[in-house]
Amino acid sequence: MALLETDRLWKKFGGVTAVQDIALSIEKGEILGMIGPNGSGKTSFINLLSGIYRPDKGNITFIGEDITGLPAYHITKKGIARTFQNLRVFPNISVLDNLLIGRHCRVNNSLANIYLNPFLSRKREKEAEDRVIELLDWVHLADRRKELAKNLPYGEQRLLEICRALASEPQLVLLDEPCAGMNPVEMDTLAAFLKNLRDRGTTLFIIEHNMRFIMSIAERIVVLDAGTKFREGSPVQIQNDKEVQRIYLGEEEDA
Amino acid sequence: MTLRIKKNRLLLYAGLLACAIVLPFVVRDPYFIGMVNFIIIYSILCLGLNLILGYTGLLSLGHAAFYGIGAYATAILMTKHGFSFLPSLIVSGLLALFFGFLLGLPTRKVRGDYFCLLTIAFGEIFRLVTQAWINFTGGAMGIVGIPIPELAGWKIQTEIDFYFLGLGLLGFTYGTLHLLTESKFGRAFVAIREDELAASVMGINTPMYKILTFSIGSLYAGIAGSYLAVYQTTVTPSNFRLEESCLMIIMVIVGGMGNLAATFLGVSVMAVAIEFFRPVPEYRLLIIGLIMILVLLFRPQGLLGASAFKD
Repeated sequence: MALLETDRLWKKFGGVTAVQDIALSIEKGEILGMIGPNGSGKTSFINLLSGIYRPDKGNITFIGEDITGLPAYHITKKGIARTFQNLRVFPNISVLDNLLIGRHCRVNNSLANIYLNPFLSRKREKEAEDRVIELLDWVHLADRRKELAKNLPYGEQRLLEICRALASEPQLVLLDEPCAGMNPVEMDTLAAFLKNLRDRGTTLFIIEHNMRFIMSIAERIVVLDAGTKFREGSPVQIQNDKEVQRIYLGEEEDA
Repeated sequence: MTLRIKKNRLLLYAGLLACAIVLPFVVRDPYFIGMVNFIIIYSILCLGLNLILGYTGLLSLGHAAFYGIGAYATAILMTKHGFSFLPSLIVSGLLALFFGFLLGLPTRKVRGDYFCLLTIAFGEIFRLVTQAWINFTGGAMGIVGIPIPELAGWKIQTEIDFYFLGLGLLGFTYGTLHLLTESKFGRAFVAIREDELAASVMGINTPMYKILTFSIGSLYAGIAGSYLAVYQTTVTPSNFRLEESCLMIIMVIVGGMGNLAATFLGVSVMAVAIEFFRPVPEYRLLIIGLIMILVLLFRPQGLLGASAFKD
């Protein structure tokens, strides 16, 4: 059974059809890439999966459960986390608090607990803190946990955003152009990090414009064009597909 | 190391508490104690408002209405229905919480400036209703002759008695808000302030949390109102004008948004300024405005910025 499946997903904005009849499946433990020219509906598709948009038609199934139209916070709780194309860490709060917010839905504290049993609630907060510090340790950000997120260098803010998504212990992470604005060295570090993550059992769905990056880490690639699924195949197949080159690279020549 | 900080903090709190208890016996001037009581009322109000405005980032210009709901509830219950103080206090708080919940409901759809307009409208409607509904609220004359409150045999009469009652309520307010803001709830509120969309993707039920922050913040305004009613022994609609809401917002901003301890500083600075310029009432608003502009120019994060008090 696929981890996530979409069935004939549609999303329209006024007269524009952003996502048109997309059916695809994400298998457990894989890195699935998605490419496509600007405006082909990639980000809209991720917004549908993460519950920011509600599909007009079609279904989304996650581990055998219909999650179509659930609000974003509910989908995160089900085990799908995401990052944003334009970096959206919480800039004015500490690195540690960013991650603790990411872990929000896994901290089992009710209002009753907080007021009537502050010691238990404090203990659970501490547990959450220990878990996210482990995570920070893993990416070598632990000693900068008290710094405000906005004071980190750009590459580390990107990393922080991914870690914030991981703090909710997701089974599937949706990454929207994770290496936008990165230099080649940062990109290689990120690629190694993401592969490592996949080896630990997290499934990744990555939208990316950078061909070198996506071809090097994705096992399967889906190409979108004008809101529809245009091609699907291995990186080699996609690279050698004349039609893909036409819609994709053709546009880059014009630009 | 953290243990040491905690120990120091505990010492700080103990020291502050000791000072607070000794204060009225050292400075016996009733004028001074009266002013401290004023600071206490506004601290309770502004701590609640700081949760709404400073933590969650919802601009509410209707806080005085919740203050008024608490005050009128206590006044009516104690004068017309023979309630004693404690049940009136509890009912006042819960009633304000309930109205906060109601006004919080539209936050699901109405955002930013439009929500702010809604809170202004709510505050004005409240004031006009209290003015017009003479049978129930006494109209513009308000309600007079609120009886002396009693708590377990303790008759609260003098300025010093009220000082200790206020101190207890303030302790309750600060303590419960501290527990809340240091938990996942406090972080969720801050996340909503910083980036609501990102917050919802973090698994935070943002509509629910916005309603929650509004309800809880209003609860404390109800408590402050109840205290005001028994302290003044009268309540009138003019206690709860839009200017009051504005003053509370200025106090929160001057102190530091998103920082509970800073609220005390903001309230004290503004209270002293208001007292100081009492002889020239025509310039008072001008000076309050000037203080706020200066603070925003030179310390936009407030006198004690959001992170200044964090260990």
